[in-house]
Formats: sequence, C-alpha cells, structure tokens
Amino acid sequence: MKVSRVFVANRGEIALRIIRACRDLGIETVVAVSEADRESMPARMADRVLCIGPPQAISSYLKVETIIAAALGSGADAIHPGYGFLAEQPDLVEACEENNLIFIGPKAENIRQMGDKLLARKMIGELGIPVIPGSEMVSTSDEAKKAAKKLGFPVLIKAAAGGGGKGIKTVNVPEGLKDVFEEASGEALAAFGDDRIFIERYIANARHIEVQIIGDRQGTIIHLFERDCSLQRRYQKILEEAPCPVMTAELREEICNAAVRIATHIGYENAGTIEFVFDQDQNLFYFLEMNTRIQVEHPITEMITGFDLVKEQISIAAGNPLSISQAGVRMSGHSIECRINAESPDKNFHPSPGRIDAWDPPEGEGIRIDSHCYTGYVVPPYYDSLLAKLVTWGTDRTDAIQKMQYALDNFKVSGVDTTVPFHQYILKNSDYLEGRINTRWIEDTVLREYVK
Amino acid sequence: MEPITQEDVFLILKLIEESKYDELHLEIGDLKLDVKKQGNRASVVDSKCVPEKSAKPALPAAPPEEIKDERVPDTGDAIIEESGLIPIKASMLGTFYSAPKPGAPPFVEVGQDITADDTVCIIEVMKLFNTVKAGVSGRVARICVKDGEMVEFQQTLFLVEEADDLDEGKRKSA
Repeated sequence: MKVSRVFVANRGEIALRIIRACRDLGIETVVAVSEADRESMPARMADRVLCIGPPQAISSYLKVETIIAAALGSGADAIHPGYGFLAEQPDLVEACEENNLIFIGPKAENIRQMGDKLLARKMIGELGIPVIPGSEMVSTSDEAKKAAKKLGFPVLIKAAAGGGGKGIKTVNVPEGLKDVFEEASGEALAAFGDDRIFIERYIANARHIEVQIIGDRQGTIIHLFERDCSLQRRYQKILEEAPCPVMTAELREEICNAAVRIATHIGYENAGTIEFVFDQDQNLFYFLEMNTRIQVEHPITEMITGFDLVKEQISIAAGNPLSISQAGVRMSGHSIECRINAESPDKNFHPSPGRIDAWDPPEGEGIRIDSHCYTGYVVPPYYDSLLAKLVTWGTDRTDAIQKMQYALDNFKVSGVDTTVPFHQYILKNSDYLEGRINTRWIEDTVLREYVK
Repeated sequence: MEPITQEDVFLILKLIEESKYDELHLEIGDLKLDVKKQGNRASVVDSKCVPEKSAKPALPAAPPEEIKDERVPDTGDAIIEESGLIPIKASMLGTFYSAPKPGAPPFVEVGQDITADDTVCIIEVMKLFNTVKAGVSGRVARICVKDGEMVEFQQTLFLVEEADDLDEGKRKSA
C-alpha cells in the first residue's frame, strides 16, 4: 500500500496540521470544505479543494457518502478524518474499505468497541484494570436511584454512547436524581440516538490523566507517556500539560502499561488515547474511556518526545511498521497547551465568531502555534470555537510556564474575543503554579474568582 | 465552486506585484496562467469551465509587466457575469451524468429549450442517483461539465439563457 494523495475530511487547525504533515512526507492533499470554509487557510494550503456542501456540518463534514465520493473523485488513496466530525464514525471506516481507500485511523471494530462506554468499561474491568465504580445500564429512574445509593452521592449520570465530555450530568443529592435521569436519557437519545444510561461514582479530587498510544498493522503498540488534562470547564479541556506534574515513576509505569495492555487486547491500530481518572486522595487511577483518534492536545506529547504523531499515523496507515520502538521513546522537558477559543470569558464563555481584524501570535524559542487563523479571517459561527493551540516547551515545568506567560502576553488578537485573558489568569494563579488543582478547580474556584 | 473570474485574475496579479517572486505558473484544471515580472510574456488559457481548485491562489508570486488575456473564446464560467446567463448549479458533490444511462441521449443539449421542471442531469453520490431539475426556464447556452466528471457543491453545470416569455412557467413550478 502506498499513500500518495490524502483526502482531508476536516477543517480548521487540524486540517492544516494534516496538510503540513503530508507536505513534509511529499504527499499531495485534497481538502474538503463546506461553503463557509472556501476561504480558509487549509483551502489555501491544500493542493486541491473540493466544496462538499453547505456550511452546516450535518450536510457537509458529517456526510459519509459525500466524503467518499469526493475522495474517490479526486483520486485520493487515503482519508484523514482529524478529530471530531467523522473521526470516530465506524461507517466511514467501512465505506473506505469497500472503496479501497485507506482510513488513517483505527479499524471500525476498535471504534465500536470503545464507542460504547458501557461495553468498554466491562471489557477493561475483565482485564483487571480498575474502572470507576459504577452501574450496568439503568433503564428507569428507580433503577438509577438504587444504583446511585449503592455508589454514594454525588454520582455522574452518563450516556453509554457519549464520550469526550458529552452526555454527562452530576447529581449531588438523591432528590435530584429522577429529573436529571429523565433529562439525561432524553438528551442522550436526541444527541446520540441511544438512550442507554449508566451511573458512575463521582470522584471529587481527581485529575484527568491520559496516555497516548500508537500501534502499527504488525501488532506493535507503544505509548508516548501521559498528558494531564485536568483543567476543564463543563468537561471540556482548556489547558493541558505533559508530563503530569504529580506523577511518580511507579505510577507512570503502571498507567502507561495499562494503556498498552488495553490497546493490545483489542488489537488497536493507529493513534489513540486512553483516558484515566486519577483519584488524588486514594492515589488510584481508573479507566475512563478510550478515544480512537488523534486528539486536539497531541502537540504537547510531540513536544516532549520529539515524535510527529500525524506523520506516523499516515505511515502506519500505509502499512509501515512503527518508526520507533518503546525503548526509543524518550521524554524530555515539559510542555503546556492553551486552547485559544473565540469565546468571551467575561460573558460566560459565550462564542464570539466574526472577522479577525488583527492576528498577531507570539513567536520565540519553545513556542509552537497550531492555527488556521490570519488577519481578515472570518470565524464562522457553525463550528467549534478553537482558533489556536498555543503550545510551549521548556526544560522543566517552570520554564514552560514562563514561556507560556510570555506567549500569552504577546498574543494580540482583535475583532473577536478570545480566551487569552482567561489563560493569563490561570497562568498567574498560585494553585495552578503549585499544582494544587483537580478537574473541578476551574469551575469551583477559578470561575468564581474570575467573574467578580 | 466559483469559476475563476477576471476579478480573480486581477487579484492574483496584484498579489504577485506585491510579492518578491519573479514568476508565477498557475494551473487550475484547464486554466493555465503564466506571469513573469521582468519579461513581457503573460497569458491566460481557459479551455473549459471546470476549475479544479479554488480560484484563490495558494501563494502569491511575481508581478506582471504586461498582461495579455489570451483566453480562448467561447469558454464558460469566466464570462458568466458579463453574459447575463443563468447558471444551474450542482446541489451536491458527486458524479455528473448527462444522460439517464450510458449510451442514451443526453437529457439536454445546447440550444434546447427547457422549463424549470425539466431534468437536466443526474448527480450520483455513492450509487445514489439524484435527478437535477433545471429550476429555470430558457435555452441551454452551454454545458459546463463533461459526462462522468465529478462536480463540487454549487459548481456551475449549465448556463441558461433565460427566456422572458417562459417566466410564467418558471413561477408556476417554483
């Protein structure tokens, strides 16, 4: 198998990231754009652009048939789905197989196994890897109440078909359960077409730690250490760092080995991330879920390992063995990523689409920016609000933080509101600087202080 | 897919003028654009109206000393706006078929009168055949796509000379 022309079925910074990786590899690119993205940076950079539909993603970026037709019609031999949109849609993988296109990602079966969070929990539990204490599927609010009482409040109500922070609700007291259960089940049906719900114990003082893995078609799977993505708002990550600042060597080995075992067990291919919840009070980690795609925050892993994940994804998909062995993966320094979104932190993170009148990102040693923005670019209102991933690398955490402070202070954007000021605030906060944080810290502490 | 227009060409030339490059070779489907900053050779060749890429240049190149438009006459998209022809555009990306089946006569031919309700072509997406209605009444002035070619969303398929006396029919079908 050879990949000589990649069809990029995505937009924004990740489309650009894929185009750049292809260019480095001497591979041509065709990018799919909706009508709203004709003038986008990926459209300018790709070798060819195809308009696949109107701005609404449901009629363009989410249409499997159109993506396949466009890929075939443009003579591409592989499709890179990026993240979001069709990245974890097994139907796309199967359609690729039927049409002799290489899908740059895992097998359809892997996506299905991990997409069903209930099945995934069961399977991982059987491997002897701890999963968060929780219920099987609950079909009624009475069943939910029973399960919740057994686990102890507060609990999380989760959609079996959810993931990526979607379809999660917190319930603090038994009285609130009935209403939230019904709401959750209705929402899950509407959002995922699947109303199966389960209940999980809520771990109050937790960190979100995830392990990057990558596997080739020959069956070799390696990990590239962990990322700490504990800073979240509404279960959406806003700042990530690698390595995890509170990780011990023993725990790192344990968690990374668990990740490799999971991936090996399902015969996983290509890049993936296994997410864990780390209970800081008990010093225990639990399997949370597996994401079967390249992730937004992959650059921080690239920064500390010097390993290009997107290029490797393409190489593996073409059938090549991994270019590096586990022993060859080394970690050096510290890296932080701030997600710069078109949102107004002062207005409860309200989206702020519109024309970017000035785009002047920082430059300097140890600063990396993955972004599709430019002066004059109009941020369309149809998609996610990610404008840029501002990434720094330093010899240690303090150095990476200092570089990030400098980079944020020198990131000049006008025309749209951004989350730059919010990140500046975090990067000066002593709790963050000293590592006294958990997954609730942004909402429970920072937002209360920030808003006033 | 918007075709490359005269305006786009001017924009490209302006970008080149401001850049540090001396030469530009641009190929968009069958359109070829050659520009040299110092020399006096420049040409635009547009043999048919199916651009393969966005009309915006990937990166600017060199400014021209002299521009000579050698556009082959009787081409399609580049002159839509001047001609006042009405485009029939693709409602989806897919493969364009001019006839109901291979070997059959095409749905429409140049010079043919059509009404808004007439089927003008088929666009296939993964074995799903979607018939495309004219949506406009008039006379087919140009067919811009070859049978079996892939078309983009909103690509111009046909150019129609709108017939005023057929307006009533159009309204009825709309």
